[in-house]
Amino acid sequence: MGIEIKNQEIENQMRELARNLLNEKKVDVIIGYAKGTVPLSSAPIMITNEEDIDKLIWNNLCYINLAKYLVPRIPQLIDPEGNNLKVGIVSKGCVGRALIHLAVEKQINLDDIKIIGIPCNGIINRKKVEKEIDEKEILEVSASGNDIVVKGKDFEQKFPFDEYINELCKVCKVKSPPTDASISEACVGECQEISNLEDDFADLAEFEAKSSKEKWDYIKDLLKTCTRCYACREACPMCYCNLCFVDQNKPIWFGKTTELSDIIVFHLIRAMHLAGRCVACGACSSVCPMGIDLNLITRKLEKMVKERFDFTSGIDSETLPPMMSFNMDDEQEFMLEED
Amino acid sequence: MDQKILMKNEIGKLYIELAEEYNFYAPVKEKGNIVFKKILNPDDIVLEYFNSKVPPKEVLFPEMEVLFEYSLDGKDVEIQDRQDLDEKNVIFGIRPCDAHGFALMATFFTAHGDCEDEIFMKKRANTILMGIGCNEPKSTCFCTSLGGHPFQKDDLDVMLTDLGEKYLVETISEKGKTFIQKLKWLADAKKKDVQQAQELSKKSEESFVTKLDLTDIDKILDPNFEHPIWKEISDICISCGTCSYLCPTCTCFDVIDETDEYNNRGRRIRIWDTCQSCLYTLHTSGHNPRNSCIERCRNRIMHKFSYYPKNYDQIGCVGCGRCVQLCPVNNDIRAILTKIKNIEKEEEISA
Amino acid sequence: MTVKNEQEAEKSEEWEPKIIAFLCNWCSYAGADLAGVSRIQYPPNIRIVRVPCSGRVNPYFIVKSLTDGWDGVVVSGCHPGDCHYLTGNLVARRRFAILKELLEFFGIEPGRVNFMWASAAEGERFAVLIRKATKIVKELGPNKKFEKKW
Repeated sequence: MGIEIKNQEIENQMRELARNLLNEKKVDVIIGYAKGTVPLSSAPIMITNEEDIDKLIWNNLCYINLAKYLVPRIPQLIDPEGNNLKVGIVSKGCVGRALIHLAVEKQINLDDIKIIGIPCNGIINRKKVEKEIDEKEILEVSASGNDIVVKGKDFEQKFPFDEYINELCKVCKVKSPPTDASISEACVGECQEISNLEDDFADLAEFEAKSSKEKWDYIKDLLKTCTRCYACREACPMCYCNLCFVDQNKPIWFGKTTELSDIIVFHLIRAMHLAGRCVACGACSSVCPMGIDLNLITRKLEKMVKERFDFTSGIDSETLPPMMSFNMDDEQEFMLEED
Repeated sequence: MDQKILMKNEIGKLYIELAEEYNFYAPVKEKGNIVFKKILNPDDIVLEYFNSKVPPKEVLFPEMEVLFEYSLDGKDVEIQDRQDLDEKNVIFGIRPCDAHGFALMATFFTAHGDCEDEIFMKKRANTILMGIGCNEPKSTCFCTSLGGHPFQKDDLDVMLTDLGEKYLVETISEKGKTFIQKLKWLADAKKKDVQQAQELSKKSEESFVTKLDLTDIDKILDPNFEHPIWKEISDICISCGTCSYLCPTCTCFDVIDETDEYNNRGRRIRIWDTCQSCLYTLHTSGHNPRNSCIERCRNRIMHKFSYYPKNYDQIGCVGCGRCVQLCPVNNDIRAILTKIKNIEKEEEISA
Repeated sequence: MTVKNEQEAEKSEEWEPKIIAFLCNWCSYAGADLAGVSRIQYPPNIRIVRVPCSGRVNPYFIVKSLTDGWDGVVVSGCHPGDCHYLTGNLVARRRFAILKELLEFFGIEPGRVNFMWASAAEGERFAVLIRKATKIVKELGPNKKFEKKW
């Protein structure tokens, strides 16, 4: 079955679910994806009227992690009396993971949320496609069979779908929102119990085998175009601090300039803050205007917490995330010891 | 107006001749993105491009710019001012919209009486803009809706038109005229070439997909400052700085002092800032007049389409379409403007 | 020392690293003191910052030290189970594990940042470990990676 047919089916089901939720007044607002105004994009949308339900879409370009809109931000999702709005949220696997993790961190209350679960089969790597097309203008992007078809003024190019999806989607184990007893009530769509989370992180082996100098040079080259617009941070559902460490000015911890060392420190500390929290949605890489691919760092975060603490973020709502807890018997092979 | 011909294979020659006297900036490809960089090797210059990702404003108004440095010796302070402001620059291949962006920036940086931005203005005065008209505008371009044109000449010193194998070179300003006269080896243009350029210009203008009617947009914006439409517009905004960092007219900057106490020195730098960040307006008291995306999104639109016309008699947007292409959540400024335009119509209907 | 002299010194054999050491008030700081009063020699390369607990050491401190040009960082706290505040060092240990691995991933030599446990009674151990850390950092040479273009 072609991807486009599957997506169409999902889209129809999703609209149906969303319509029912709104009609039955189970939710006040639906957060989902709408068609973007430029090719290779999609736009988040908040729907309160039933007529707008048909604007909801589902395809392989829905890269934003919608959980971002539920974390405390201004304007808040509240009604005029100050009560929380009930929200229906279109969730692919990583949105579901983000919701669960945010609930664990007590940032959101799953009672106010209905998860419209969707089985996702991967998000197109926009930057990779753009780079292949080069300076020609893309006018239309669609999935057909097992290909991504990119059309322009006088060209049409096909890319194999499996190759041109995000690196994180290639190794994704959580295609639809995970569920357990405590959140099953919130799920109205296709949510699944996820059990197989084994990962050998083979994709990291090559990089990790490099010498310090090679790694540093790679990171330098990777991040040198960063303009520090903070789109990565703002698109990240886990970056909800009122004041980001990089914006603190009493004291100024780290430079705000675009000198390479400052850029690297920003990404280093941001990665540090996401350890055990990152849900590997890849939104940060998808939104970067300069096309920086942060997936490598994301994978490393996953690997560290998986191997060291046997934890995968956003799967169950019971276990405390590793950086919020401790254990007397933690590994400490990195500590300096006498010979 | 002088009209000359520059063959595309003569770009290297042009570079070699100019590089001695000028810093030669041109589009290059860096990590898949077109950017304007100082050229060290003429082979790096990319001629087949639509437009740069980061606007060429970064040449004269870089993301990070040292204003001055100081060093301490006991109680003596020595301040070193910028030495490079008198260097001459050429920006080759700038698009007319971005050149208009420079004009708008210059208006802003000189508009406040005595406190003109010396660094920017000095650099601007020492810079020659060699623009290339857009033969094939993208569907996201909308300069024609803002009084611009893909072959707008007003803000350039020298205008180039891509005729396939060669460029038609037209001098626009006095500065451009003396500049081109020095390049004696340029052949004179034939009538045929000029005609071809005019045809291209017409064809390009006709190919515009996006056409917005922005007449009196400021008159609609002002009374609707509190309109609920702002909430609708800002619902999905995530408050990143992409739109303003990649805007050829955004001029906001933040000033930072860095000290290096280990070496007894320090420096004052300015970096780009964005009105989309909540820190932009945060007061020391903790009060923030633009606390939510609603106010911040509104500010961006109001600044470009209401405050600019009011203060400087022109719209503060050039229609390059960068924010349309690269907004992470696809909050399309064209759609926003259409929505605002529709307020008026809706009011007429209800009245 | 002026910048120029420092550069010359770095080239020659006599270059000595500068290491910042965050020591827990309740153990390692007293351990360093014990090493001192017991006349146990340890390298003078470390500059000590006394902190109330190794759990107080924010990763910012460590990264900031590296960006400020320190050649190495040492954090020393109480042995697991001995924390004055019961679990401060256990929280810190997880943090350090992640930070150290991440720094290594970003291409910072793993030897630049060292974590150790040393109690108030372990003056000898403190001296030995500091000697070891200094040796490691000295072999790595000056920390230039975060140097800014002035």
